[in-house]
Amino acid sequence: MDLRFSPEDNAFREEVRTWLAANVPTDRRPKRGPEMREYDLAWQRKLYDAGWGNVAWPIEYGGRDLPLIQQLVWFEEYARTGMRPIDTRFVGLAHAGPTLMARATDEQKSFHLPKILKGEVVWCQGFSEPEAGSDLASLRTKAVVDGDQLVVTGQKIWTSFADNADYQELLVRTNPDVPKHKGITWVICDMALPGIEIRPIRTIEGGADFSEVFYDEVRIPIENVVGGIDNGWSVAMSTLAFERGTAFTISQVQLAASVEELIELARSRRSLNGRPVIEDDSLAQRLARARADCAALRALTYLGISKNVDSDQPGPEGSMMKLHYADLAKRVYKLGIEILGSRSLAIPHVEDDTEWIDKHLIAYSTSIGGGTSEIQRNIIGERVLGLPR
Amino acid sequence: MNLLPTPEQIEITDSSAAFVADKVSIERTRELFEQGVLPAIADAAWAAAAELGWFALGLPEECNGVGCGLADEALLFRQIGRGLVPGPFLSTVLGARTAAFGGEQDLADEIVSGRRVGLVIPDSLDAIGADGSIVGAVQLVDADLDGMVLTVTADVAALVEVASLVDVNEVPCLDHTARLYRATGTGAAPVASVAASEDPIELRGHVLVAAMLTGITEWARDTGAEHAANRIQFDKPIGVNQAIKHPCADMAVQAQLSYSQMLFGALAVDEGRPDVVFQALTAHVTAVAAADFATATTLQIMGGMGFTHEHDVHLYVKRMELLSHTFGAPGLWLARLLELPEPS
Repeated sequence: MDLRFSPEDNAFREEVRTWLAANVPTDRRPKRGPEMREYDLAWQRKLYDAGWGNVAWPIEYGGRDLPLIQQLVWFEEYARTGMRPIDTRFVGLAHAGPTLMARATDEQKSFHLPKILKGEVVWCQGFSEPEAGSDLASLRTKAVVDGDQLVVTGQKIWTSFADNADYQELLVRTNPDVPKHKGITWVICDMALPGIEIRPIRTIEGGADFSEVFYDEVRIPIENVVGGIDNGWSVAMSTLAFERGTAFTISQVQLAASVEELIELARSRRSLNGRPVIEDDSLAQRLARARADCAALRALTYLGISKNVDSDQPGPEGSMMKLHYADLAKRVYKLGIEILGSRSLAIPHVEDDTEWIDKHLIAYSTSIGGGTSEIQRNIIGERVLGLPR
Repeated sequence: MNLLPTPEQIEITDSSAAFVADKVSIERTRELFEQGVLPAIADAAWAAAAELGWFALGLPEECNGVGCGLADEALLFRQIGRGLVPGPFLSTVLGARTAAFGGEQDLADEIVSGRRVGLVIPDSLDAIGADGSIVGAVQLVDADLDGMVLTVTADVAALVEVASLVDVNEVPCLDHTARLYRATGTGAAPVASVAASEDPIELRGHVLVAAMLTGITEWARDTGAEHAANRIQFDKPIGVNQAIKHPCADMAVQAQLSYSQMLFGALAVDEGRPDVVFQALTAHVTAVAAADFATATTLQIMGGMGFTHEHDVHLYVKRMELLSHTFGAPGLWLARLLELPEPS
């Protein structure tokens, strides 16, 4: 056992830190629209040109294929720059791309993967539906084979960045007459096709990153199917083996940084009684607990990564990290609102205050998106503890 | 960076678990405390642990120790916690270190070969003097009246003769496996003392307590999950219900957090990290919260059986309380955590 990084890894950290310090965008990221897309893609192009297009992708697809510990170092340093863990590049780099690597044809791979890596395209995900949330396999969006085309009709929801996306990883029901996991197809959908309508969903903090996507007899070339008709469920699941816990580091490091900022905020702001907020014992204890919990989350992340160094199959730490992170993030950002006190009611008051309010509101999504906390508890209960379904 | 145990560390875990099951099973512990033998561990079992080198494991070789790291010792103490092993293992291990680092090598050798050292839990922080002497009202856990007890503060660790104390009265302990005395200190000079700046004995203590609490949490997780999987009501295992399954999952998360941070704290001490105080205190805080949650959760899952003297869960609840009040209290540790610089 060892907490220390090797001299090579420390040298690598120095290299990463130096490069990031010189190259991270200094202007503020636009919150929406083509400006946001261009900001993200320009950053991806810069990363790609310097050889940082993707630290985890295999070299044959243009990635860096770093050893797991150096991936951890990369993400720790990346997190310290304050860049978002998820932006319009996320689905392409972390989900659709790895799925294509695992299951697509050579033609599909050579067409799409370089575009993703070079920051030329944005991908979005078409999985969830109004009637298929946690029970994803019950999805109903229908696709009928008509000659060399799939004709898609139905609706998706919670699609991030749909209005800025070029392509979508789309799950459709190609066979309604077999058990639900068996009649699903994974297909690449060009978002410019006729018959697609995108309606942004306004969310709790006022943003509109999510959309509903409607399909009215959208004709997708059958050659866009990945992994074969009716094999889509296993294609969708193949990405999971790609995630080995390092990318999560960004969220963990940034949450810990937020706690440090909140401790400073609590020292500089005053309560209704005129005393520094930090002198409120109950609040101080919760800040201290948050600090300790962030440290323990890092330890858990390190343990999970240690286990994954020699394993192709990620352990249950992934669900544990996500579950604990969600609980902790909600507690941490609620503290932000409490430190601001009644000043949190005046939304546009000060730029920094606005950020804490946004973070608090957005934190509600951490236990819903990407598999609810209830689903994570089912996974842990059944797969780790062996409890009956 | 690697938090996986080495083959030697796996061997420590396996052999200590086997020893616990063989020599200090809970059935045996129950027989002993029902007979009034306190602490509820047979002299032969204590001697066998000394023989195995348990008290010398983390001592440097130049102090006649085995020279293993705190992480190795913590893996041993995790099994002590999991098996609800009675006896002053914690204060004896730390006491040997205090003697050795305090210049009393002969005494250290005696302790390592099986002389027990009890633990002092002060009524208030000012009951322990700056030199580690006892100057106020305290409680003594598993002390021998002709022996020594260990005082530990953030600044110093010291060994004090029990014979120097007054008003020493035995009282029943919440933890049935422990012998408890109330006593008052007279300020007698310690036999040996070690400043925190010389060796962080307090931090080692926090990590070893965290390790025992981790073992308790893991026992609770496994016991609760096993009952949830096997107990049939309404024709199905109660564990199919999310009201049971989800707290079990939360126990699994808490156990893993507790274990991970315990290792982080131990390695921080072994490697002399700049944030070692933060990491060791955090290990204790995290382990207390996890064990408190897990023991209460498993007690609830056991239903009425969990409320009985017959089931073991109450013994773990009570041990958890004892360990939550060893070397301070959660509120004090949290206050210190907030004052420390940002962890590195």
